[in-house]
Amino acid sequence: MASMMQPQIILLKEGTDTSQGKPQLVSNINACMAVADVVRTTLGPRGMDKLIHDDKGNTTISNDGATIMKLLDIVHPASKILVDIAKSQDSEVGDGTTTVVLLAGEFLREAKPFVDDGVHPQNLIRSYRAASYLAIEKIKELAVSIEGKSLEEKKSLLANCAATTLSSKLIGGEKEFFATMVVDAVLAIESDDRLNMIGIKKVPGGTMRDSFLVNGVAFKKTFSYAGFEQQPKKFLNPKILLLNIELELKSEKENAEIRLSDPLQYQSIVDAEWNIIYDKLDKCVKSGAKIVLSRLAIGDLATQYFADCDIFCAGRVAEDDLHRVAAATGGTVQTSVNNVIDEVLGSCEVFEEKQVGNERFNIFNGCPSGQTATIVLRGGADQFIEEAERSLHDAIMIVRRAMKNSTVVAGGGAIDMEISRYLRQHARTIAGKSQLFINSFAKALEVIPRQLCDNAGFDATDVLNKLRQKHALADGEGALYGVDINTGGIADSFANFVWEPAVVKINAINAATEAACLILSVDETVKNPKSESAQGEAAAGMGRGRGGGRGRGMRRR
Amino acid sequence: MALAFDEYGRPFIILREQESKSRLRGLDAQKSNIAAGVAVSRILRTSLGPKGMDKMLQSPDGDITITNDGATILEQMDVDNQIGKLMVELSRSQDYEIGDGTTGVVVMAGALLEQAERLLERGIHPIRVAEGFEISSRIAVDHLEQISHKFDFSATNIEPLVQTCMTTLSSKIVNRCKRSLAEIAVKGVMAVADLERKDVNLDLIKVEGKVGGKLEDTELIYGIIVDKDMSHPQMPKQIEDAKIAILTCPFEPPKPKTKHKVDIDTVEKFQTLREQERKYFDDMVQRCKDVGATLVICQWGFDDEANHLLMHRNLPAVRWVGGVELELIAIATGGRIVPRFQELTPEKLGKAGLVREKAFGTTKDRMLYIEHCANSRAVTVFIRGGNKMMIEETKRSIHDALCVARNLIRNNSIVYGGGAAEISCSIAYAIRAFADALDSVPMALAENSGLQPIETLSAVKAQQIKEKNPCCGIDCNDAGTNDMREQNVFETLIGKQQQILLATQVVKMILKIDDVISPSEY
Repeated sequence: MASMMQPQIILLKEGTDTSQGKPQLVSNINACMAVADVVRTTLGPRGMDKLIHDDKGNTTISNDGATIMKLLDIVHPASKILVDIAKSQDSEVGDGTTTVVLLAGEFLREAKPFVDDGVHPQNLIRSYRAASYLAIEKIKELAVSIEGKSLEEKKSLLANCAATTLSSKLIGGEKEFFATMVVDAVLAIESDDRLNMIGIKKVPGGTMRDSFLVNGVAFKKTFSYAGFEQQPKKFLNPKILLLNIELELKSEKENAEIRLSDPLQYQSIVDAEWNIIYDKLDKCVKSGAKIVLSRLAIGDLATQYFADCDIFCAGRVAEDDLHRVAAATGGTVQTSVNNVIDEVLGSCEVFEEKQVGNERFNIFNGCPSGQTATIVLRGGADQFIEEAERSLHDAIMIVRRAMKNSTVVAGGGAIDMEISRYLRQHARTIAGKSQLFINSFAKALEVIPRQLCDNAGFDATDVLNKLRQKHALADGEGALYGVDINTGGIADSFANFVWEPAVVKINAINAATEAACLILSVDETVKNPKSESAQGEAAAGMGRGRGGGRGRGMRRR
Repeated sequence: MALAFDEYGRPFIILREQESKSRLRGLDAQKSNIAAGVAVSRILRTSLGPKGMDKMLQSPDGDITITNDGATILEQMDVDNQIGKLMVELSRSQDYEIGDGTTGVVVMAGALLEQAERLLERGIHPIRVAEGFEISSRIAVDHLEQISHKFDFSATNIEPLVQTCMTTLSSKIVNRCKRSLAEIAVKGVMAVADLERKDVNLDLIKVEGKVGGKLEDTELIYGIIVDKDMSHPQMPKQIEDAKIAILTCPFEPPKPKTKHKVDIDTVEKFQTLREQERKYFDDMVQRCKDVGATLVICQWGFDDEANHLLMHRNLPAVRWVGGVELELIAIATGGRIVPRFQELTPEKLGKAGLVREKAFGTTKDRMLYIEHCANSRAVTVFIRGGNKMMIEETKRSIHDALCVARNLIRNNSIVYGGGAAEISCSIAYAIRAFADALDSVPMALAENSGLQPIETLSAVKAQQIKEKNPCCGIDCNDAGTNDMREQNVFETLIGKQQQILLATQVVKMILKIDDVISPSEY
């Protein structure tokens, strides 16, 4: 780009890719729009799924924006920002990941003509920020609180939120079923922040409807030794001992060696070892526990010993399962069997080993502290269950969010239309260029209802105009109208229970604006050729290394 | 993915290795996915029904499997296509949950996909199609519930169960012995079933096979068969009222787990060591004798010395019995597994009415029968057959039959087979594409039986409507009647419902994909 007349001043290493100025900005916008186009079709109840292979042959079928963005393996530096906001939306609120990418893409699309016309990006950024601030204030104003309702009422309200999220997923057909399940699970763990207290177990086979919620913990039968089948498989109000030690006949010290000079003492060594393990087992039995779980192995000897004492045991329980059991039953994980007092033992109402599909499950039901829940998911194919799990994760996050912030807004594009109207109205009061920018921001927000229509195969322009008319009604009576996916017209989303927690929208608009502003403020990319040449160098280095090795050998001669 | 261009028309790369990735979008993606799914179901179509054909599959190691079990065929085919894999998992799910109807579910899914393709071509939104299928599947399931019959059975009256199992077995290679095999399966399940909890633990039914003899020699043994023989050829071959010591410790001097060394520096010490070792053996055998055991079953091996001693003391023994079998023996005989000799007590011994070793034909193979056990809640189905493939296929067939019997114990509703249930559902409501897809099962049945598919199907349909009899199905066996009630062709209600639900579910999943991004090598 430097003038060729004068000797060129080389500032950067050769091969460094620098592009700058307006063209650079436009090309960044183009890249982001291309990425947004990928996830575009997944939005809404009629959104489609993507099937993505990776190099290793793993397949994912998903409708979740964050998952798709992650798997797309984007390398374009500007577009990576979109991946990041999808991820942050996922970790912050758990849902609306497609929305946020779409909004960011649309903000940029609207900004592009202005950039082309020579508007300074900073002007755009300032207006976008102002608009996003106004939009969020408006959402807060419009949001309806569900605080102070009775538990029953709250439950059905939360279920509506969950159902809205689930409607766009593969399990949408059974959304009511899963929504109640999710709400029950979230209510079970109450305000506990540890999300891992909700376990999701996947068992292939069966239909979605065979999925069930365990008010406690469930995990797959662990590896067992002979004698396991002779243990009782059902207990009422058992005491549960949780261990983190091996119950196996083994050498007590790794590097110890015993030297015997008298062969007659041989038996005493053998006995001593047996006594150690029997002592441990005896203490377990004496503690009064009826169920013994350990994170480490429980050997065949112990299995049979417990079988003799009518105790159920399971070794090699996964760590998070064991922690869940501990939290649920009120027990504490012990690292020794000495001094096991009653307080460290957990308990639950019913313990049972049950057949679920092809697997057997240990199920702890009716736990006293009640701060755990386990969802056992069933489905026809592995990928199906994987996707169901992702969908449930979204729904769980939504319900938790809704419980904490307990304000909801109307979904189905209603809130977006209303903000859009509000911003347009507001823009008229502004003098100067900013009016245009805020108008374009408002226009960008309409992408949500438009995309909902497009995905469902409706005439987007038609529906959008109907919506605009409703929302423009003077007394605000049409403020809750959104796209009606079932009829292709418009309907009162709030009355139809298409609800979203306000925080999802707030976060989405915030994140999308941030991302758009960030991309707009970049006017130069300097891409070092490093990564590629570093690889080349590494390969060359290895070659040289080998050569050097040989060389050294030669020299040593 | 379409390349993006910047202001100078230079393409830039957004995704890693963008050029080498292929991408299918929109209708093309759906069509190619549907084609893959349909291709898989076509393969299985000919295996459906009593006149269905078998498939021969050769594994990379050269092992040959001949089967007509849908799940097995798909498993061994090693499908590479992603959508094909979904179909494989579909049939596996049916296998896990129900155990039978693995072919039917794939055929149905394939038919649904074919129908869906037609609808997509007319421009109907794929999710609309999927939702329509979902609604229809629910109606179908409800309808099945309506036309289902409950029948009563009890521990003594197992005839209805046998009839249903026979329907399952009739499509298998073993159908000439279906009556006896069905009886075996039902009796086996009844023996281990917990009728009050309606639960059956199939782990308690062991299926063992041995080449040789004929299929008719297959038998049900109320006890356990172990593919082992007595440790010493001169030990008695038959023990009545055996008291069995079940050991998980070897007949040899115990070893501490800690590293150890015994210093032998004098001749006396060596003598003592030898003496002590001998004494160990002696003690061990004596202990077994003392508690009254008449048979020792051991998880590990024994020293020749111990073996000789056991023979000498007239204590028959079996060695190297696997952990699973050991457990089954313990359950069957009511004994306890004993980890060391010091703990042997008379109460821990298992009891069996008869233990005998049986030789087969001219071969040296022997097997140990443990029968008339104290607790008969562990049974063995012992399969004989001309060759290994036959036995393997029989095992799979028996497994299917066992699953059917188990499902009936869980839920005793049945629907009529031979495509009768599908035809009835298809008549019952008007979501046309779904109904057409349902018809594919009886069509395939008729085709496989060498009948005119369309003619037969419409005749049966007409008959069902005319007589308002949901029991009419395809007469595959030329029995002269279309009434499946008279032919005693039953299927379980839950199996059929599961088939419809699962097939719909997977079809929805396939239809919902509009974008396939894959590395180029696929």
